[in-house]
Amino acid sequence: MTTPILAVRNLAVEFDTFGGVVNAVRDVSFDLHAGQTLAIVGESGCGKSVTVQSLMGLIPTPPGRITKGSARFMDQDLVTTGAQGVRGVHMGMIFQDPMTSLNPTMRIGDQVAETLVVHKQYTRKQAQEAAVSLLARTHIPEPRRRAQQYPFEFSGGMLQRAMIAQALACEPAILIADEPTTALDVTIQAQILELMQSLQKENGMSIILITHDLAVVARMADQVAVMYAGEIVETGSVTDVFYHPAHPYNLGLQQAMPSNRHPDRVLEPIPGSPPDLFSPPTGCGYCARCPHAMTICDSHPPEMSPIDIASTHEARCWLHHELAPSENNPVRPSS
Amino acid sequence: MIRYTAKRILSGIVTIWFITTATFLAMHAVPGDPLMNDKAVSEEIRRNLEARYGLDKPLSKQYVIFISNMLKGDFGISFTQQNRRVNDIIREHFPVSAILGILAVVIAALGGMLWGALTALYRNRLPDITIMFLVILGISVPGFVFAATGQLALVHLNAMVGTTVLPVAGWGTFTHMLMPALVLGLGTMALLTRLMRTSMIDVMGEDYIRTAHAKGLSAQRIFLRHQLRNAILPVVTVLGPQIAAITTGGFVVEYVFAIPGLGRYFVQAVQQLDYTVIMGTTVFYGAFLVLMVILVDILYGLIDPRVRLST
Ligand SMILES: Nc1ncnc2c1ncn2[C@@H]1O[C@H](COP(=O)(O)OP(=O)(O)OP(=O)(O)O)[C@@H](O)[C@H]1O
Ligand code: SF4
Ligand SMILES: [Mg+2]
Repeated sequence: MTTPILAVRNLAVEFDTFGGVVNAVRDVSFDLHAGQTLAIVGESGCGKSVTVQSLMGLIPTPPGRITKGSARFMDQDLVTTGAQGVRGVHMGMIFQDPMTSLNPTMRIGDQVAETLVVHKQYTRKQAQEAAVSLLARTHIPEPRRRAQQYPFEFSGGMLQRAMIAQALACEPAILIADEPTTALDVTIQAQILELMQSLQKENGMSIILITHDLAVVARMADQVAVMYAGEIVETGSVTDVFYHPAHPYNLGLQQAMPSNRHPDRVLEPIPGSPPDLFSPPTGCGYCARCPHAMTICDSHPPEMSPIDIASTHEARCWLHHELAPSENNPVRPSS
Repeated sequence: MIRYTAKRILSGIVTIWFITTATFLAMHAVPGDPLMNDKAVSEEIRRNLEARYGLDKPLSKQYVIFISNMLKGDFGISFTQQNRRVNDIIREHFPVSAILGILAVVIAALGGMLWGALTALYRNRLPDITIMFLVILGISVPGFVFAATGQLALVHLNAMVGTTVLPVAGWGTFTHMLMPALVLGLGTMALLTRLMRTSMIDVMGEDYIRTAHAKGLSAQRIFLRHQLRNAILPVVTVLGPQIAAITTGGFVVEYVFAIPGLGRYFVQAVQQLDYTVIMGTTVFYGAFLVLMVILVDILYGLIDPRVRLST
């Protein structure tokens, strides 16, 4: 495959809190390729937002700090440079709650135009014109009039469109979307996702999409990374991750999801809760909930290992070790 | 915005009417009357005086007369200062109090915002801790202590330098105004500093500030364009009542620095039950404060589009 546009390696992030140090992200590595969409999924608190915020230099320091790892983007390590000169220019970001993510006392047009003035040295007038056409591109009706309005005059869906216009102003190579549709109602959700897809087709940008919604993943993503307790436990193409789960956690997720192929299957929730990130387990993070746990799992952390040399499919589980039993092995393909 | 302003003005007029009526009733409820101060007046002279000032008429009648004169802009003549019209007293002495008050408010507001923003930016570090200690002093120490201390400081300063850097008392030039205005505004400045600090810290944690960082803006630009305006809003809200506190609190400072302001006449009038001066100055102060509150409300509307456009 071609060289990735963004290569994240062994990223780890901690936060100081009253209760002690939280190991929010423990070991995250992934590649993002040009023009592709990577979806990051996983349950609440597993470190999805912290991961992408550390790429954008948005970790509040203190209490947070990136303790290890790197994120290569165009010959620059985002971790050491704090994404200076990259964020807002080559990487844009949109957030979960558009209602609170825009400045309430600044006109929408000015907010969209701002990066162009700062990063591209546009004059105020040029930037305003560009902002109006960006609003038009994100399908905001009457963009010229809307540009003069304030956020409280917009609906949630329209605000998220304005956020997208703002994030794409400098034509970034990467758009990071942290649960961009969670705060919106269902019909609006579909429109926003559609918009993101069509803009991606137009300008060939890459997208990192964080979501809880596996249906959204299936529709939008090329690659998927499944996170659990601060680590990526499985990555691969949508087909690999959805139809050939290689990690017991992902397997559990699929069994907790309704499926068209097996409409009468009983849905099984995953029992238990994620481990305490104040003192992460020494072995596999999923060990306490894993129905297939073995002796080694409790004491030795498994490494990310390829499932199939021919694809990008990888998982972090001892069941893929050559010494793991092959009968009743739920994740070993065809045995 | 026009409806918003009209509503404020209407409620302002009602407020002034209320102040007028309440003062009128309270004043007459106090035992005694302005004529009591004159030594040994005979029954006859007293009756003549009462007739002259209209005090022989029933209270309701006096009220009606007062209101109708007030609407014509006439507050009558003073009981205790021979032949001096209340309007003249106000005209001569209010500008002094107003200039002092406005300067104090400006110093307090600018200082409060500056120190507040600074403490928020240096949260829990030395500048913050130092300023917040001073703020507690500023809020808890009464104004006359600052007035006396400020004056004393000027005395020592002038003695040390050898010439008059700033005059110790009196009125006339801008240099006369600085120390009294500072002293007068100090309590409010402390209060606004604390408010601005909280508000600034709140704003710094808002989602739209994270967005601004994600846009790659410089810290300076984020501070000026995104934080300041939003953080000022709660501070502006309390500015109205604070102007009231400063103008009415001006008396002590005027006294200490020998400033010929209106406050002195007001207090004197209350002591002597000089009905017309009490009514005149109270209603005038009331109207002035109501006007200030309206102006602050309009200012708020100008800063916050949500208020400006939705009402
Ligand atoms: N500013 C912070 N201070 C302290 N702890 C933090 C901070 N931000 C995040 N964390 C911790 O980091 C962990 C991961 O948080 P993160 O926001 O990345 O979760 P998430 O996967 O995005 O969850 P969600 O789906 O709910 O958004 C959580 O345990 C959280 O408590
Ligand atoms: S390593 Fe062991 S405990 Fe962890 S997921 Fe695999 S089988 Fe389960
Ligand atoms: Mg999140």
